[in-house]
Amino acid sequence: MSTRARKATGITLFWRILWARAYPRIVGAWREKDWLFFETVVPLGTTAGFVFVYRAAGAPPEFAGFAVLGGAMTAFWLNVLWAMGSQLYWDKDGGNLELYVLSPGPLMAILVGMAVGGIFMASVRAVTVIVVASLLFNISYQVSSLPLLILVFLVTMAALYGLGMIFASVFLASGREAWHLANLLQEPIYLVSGFYFPVSALGFWVATFASVIPLTLGMDAIRQIIFSTQSNIGFLPVETELILLCFLAVILLALAWYSLRKLEEIGRRDGRLIERRR
Amino acid sequence: MAMMSRIFASPAVRRSPALRSLLSGLWLGWQIETNWANPIVFITYFIARPVASLTILVVMYSVIAQDILGTPFFAYVYLGGALYLLAGQIVVGVSWVVIEDREHYRVAKQIYTAPVNSYAYLLGRGIARFAVSVLSVSITIPLGVLVFRLPVTWSAIDFPLLIVSTLLGLIAMAALGVIIGSYTYQITRQAFSVGDTLNGVFYLLTGAVFPIELLPEVLRPLGYLLPSTYWLELARRALIPQPVAFQAISSLNTETLLAILAGMAVVFAVLSVVVFIWSMRLAKERGVLDVETNY
Amino acid sequence: MTANYAIETYDLKRIYKIRGPKRKDDPAERVALGGVSLQVARGGLFGLLGPNGAGKTTLIKILSTLLLPSSGRALVDGLDVTKDVTEIRRRISMVSGGETSGFGLLTVEENLWMFARFYGLENADAKRRIDEMLEVVGIADRRRTKIADLSTGLRQKMNFIRGFISDPDIIFLDEPTLGLDVTAARDVREFVKRWLRQNPDRTILLTTHYMAEADELCDRLAIIDSGKLLVEDTPAGLKKRVQDEAMFVLKVAPLGKPVEGDRIEDVPGVQRLAVTDHDAHVELTMALTGEDALPGVLAHLSRRGAGLVSLEKREPTLEDVFIQLVGRRLTEAAGVEA
Repeated sequence: MSTRARKATGITLFWRILWARAYPRIVGAWREKDWLFFETVVPLGTTAGFVFVYRAAGAPPEFAGFAVLGGAMTAFWLNVLWAMGSQLYWDKDGGNLELYVLSPGPLMAILVGMAVGGIFMASVRAVTVIVVASLLFNISYQVSSLPLLILVFLVTMAALYGLGMIFASVFLASGREAWHLANLLQEPIYLVSGFYFPVSALGFWVATFASVIPLTLGMDAIRQIIFSTQSNIGFLPVETELILLCFLAVILLALAWYSLRKLEEIGRRDGRLIERRR
Repeated sequence: MAMMSRIFASPAVRRSPALRSLLSGLWLGWQIETNWANPIVFITYFIARPVASLTILVVMYSVIAQDILGTPFFAYVYLGGALYLLAGQIVVGVSWVVIEDREHYRVAKQIYTAPVNSYAYLLGRGIARFAVSVLSVSITIPLGVLVFRLPVTWSAIDFPLLIVSTLLGLIAMAALGVIIGSYTYQITRQAFSVGDTLNGVFYLLTGAVFPIELLPEVLRPLGYLLPSTYWLELARRALIPQPVAFQAISSLNTETLLAILAGMAVVFAVLSVVVFIWSMRLAKERGVLDVETNY
Repeated sequence: MTANYAIETYDLKRIYKIRGPKRKDDPAERVALGGVSLQVARGGLFGLLGPNGAGKTTLIKILSTLLLPSSGRALVDGLDVTKDVTEIRRRISMVSGGETSGFGLLTVEENLWMFARFYGLENADAKRRIDEMLEVVGIADRRRTKIADLSTGLRQKMNFIRGFISDPDIIFLDEPTLGLDVTAARDVREFVKRWLRQNPDRTILLTTHYMAEADELCDRLAIIDSGKLLVEDTPAGLKKRVQDEAMFVLKVAPLGKPVEGDRIEDVPGVQRLAVTDHDAHVELTMALTGEDALPGVLAHLSRRGAGLVSLEKREPTLEDVFIQLVGRRLTEAAGVEA
């Protein structure tokens, strides 16, 4: 071991940390296949339930598509709550957080890596739900613009996982309460963000407030793009929603960066980063 | 606490280990499930989550048709969604108790080596989960009446039918819960997902929020095998006796449904004892009774 | 810039506020470090010996930038731990005993690769280093084992590689052999010694409450207790302090009843005494002014009806130094039966 290790700094370091932290999630999605089975059965069951509800109520066939889209998108929301929000807390428990902090790169790189890995994991689940449910229920999509769909999805993910990173700091600071907090944000967000129906049904103000959760506008835009023959289902025009989502992404990511810095500051001051240790 | 001490000291309880175990499980379960020192816990699990789930259904219907609130179909869906919480709690609750004792509280060793009747103890824990969920339902149904014009009126409720069907349903569903709990002993890594997965599947099969006839033909028989299917339908008919305009199993009258549920209570109770004994023996053989997944 | 010292602290204090519900007379804060001044020269292994709760881990956490001091100053490689955080982190690493870091579903080499990348190592360099260190530590055959399937000893060996893979200038080892069996602990110590031989310009700060470990590994050693640094010297220098005394270990069964006003400590020539109660006998470790004080001790034991099982004269150890400084055995202070 005679030669000294060359260590990257700046953007290169950020990039290397990001992919290193994403790696366990990307690999894990394939290595733990049985989890994948269990994790897709639940949303598939729920999705099918909502599809049948629409059918029982005599809704037009497109509505089943809304339920399928919502069922698929729950993967991302659950991922943000449980695999982003609660992750630093678990990492502290396992001893990884200390090592993240100790390494020379920014904690933000770790969180972006977690997010990239998380998006991959959740996408595997979401795609499985969409494909299986669409085949089962014979859902057809009329996509108005594929590039626009991809753009909206990516911006939504940036904003959503920015929110997830804020949760990570907040949950870590709130300790054991985090578990309940994550639970509290599950079904109520499915409701106000309009996972299973067009969010405009909740009225302007509820939809506006719910837009703090990026999935509200993101899903509304996606719904309008992939069910383009349906008129009057959108809360706002897709272009407006895209612009708002861009703003949200910037604000939430900036807040995430700030809250992480605060977390580390408070953690170092109060000893919270290490309190589990001997 | 003082009352519990008196009950445990009574001659009947002291004579019967099974009764003592059942009551111990019930008492312990109640203590754990009603840990409301923290109001956020109560609000989260017993109000926010169930109310949000039900409101999703309400909004879905109102998207499709104006003025659907108050209709028999809406009542069917709302009551099914609200009551399923009870069914789900007891059917998958026992499996959660197995995992909790084994991996969270890590007391499986102590329980199974203590002179308790494990079957009765688990049953007690399951019934405690059911009892706690009654509190939640006692919030969601009045809420439905007040906010969503749910056509339930106190004077019209068929209480004898409600009580009898709930008792029979409780026996049948708790027994099914023990059967699933027995299966949980045998699995380790996926134990955490079993409860949630089955809860989702049963919700679908039991016709909680849509008539079971809508299910694909291959799945329908599975729905008919679940006691919750009959209990939900009977409870709905007890809560809204008139009009019987929208029913899950419209071809069967109330008496027939009661008879089926009673039969199921007997069959599932016997089956659960057999499966439980077999599962305990197998778990001991395989050494998985107190295994920890270390997730 | 090369600093004179690898580590310097000046009157370093750390006070923890005690959170959560407490009774009225419970203290509101706890002093973990009560003004520690220390200079550790570049190169070699410096040890901090002290019981659990002495402040060793707190000191390491401050030096490794995980915790801020309440007051005082600490420099690592000439850099201030409160201000030059990123620069310090590039130069340091840490391994703790009983560490459970990493991801169970990744293999040994995948986990190591991940941590190497956290320090910005290039792919090829990271892989080459992992290969080399797996060989050195003797776990090359486990490279594709998921770490969830590793034993405690193997996992700690992997943690060691994790700590050294980033090629640090200064590495903190916090009770690194805690919970390891004798063989695994020896392997770990051998690894540390070899690494220092190959990299004489690097510095290791080791905390331990195992005296033999401190004696075997450390070039210099400080003894710390209750947040205070009591003494700092080479192990030989420390032992020399008690070399003028004669150290005896007597095993007695039974110890007998003390006669009023006639305690062992009062026997002329007895400097210090530590009593350890074993199941079958009582062990008296005593420092005497000289061998000529021994007959007085034996006469005292005879007066109180003690039965002598064995008598041994031995060379002074770090334990004796600790007893001299603190007035009790290190193992007693650590709550461990000797």
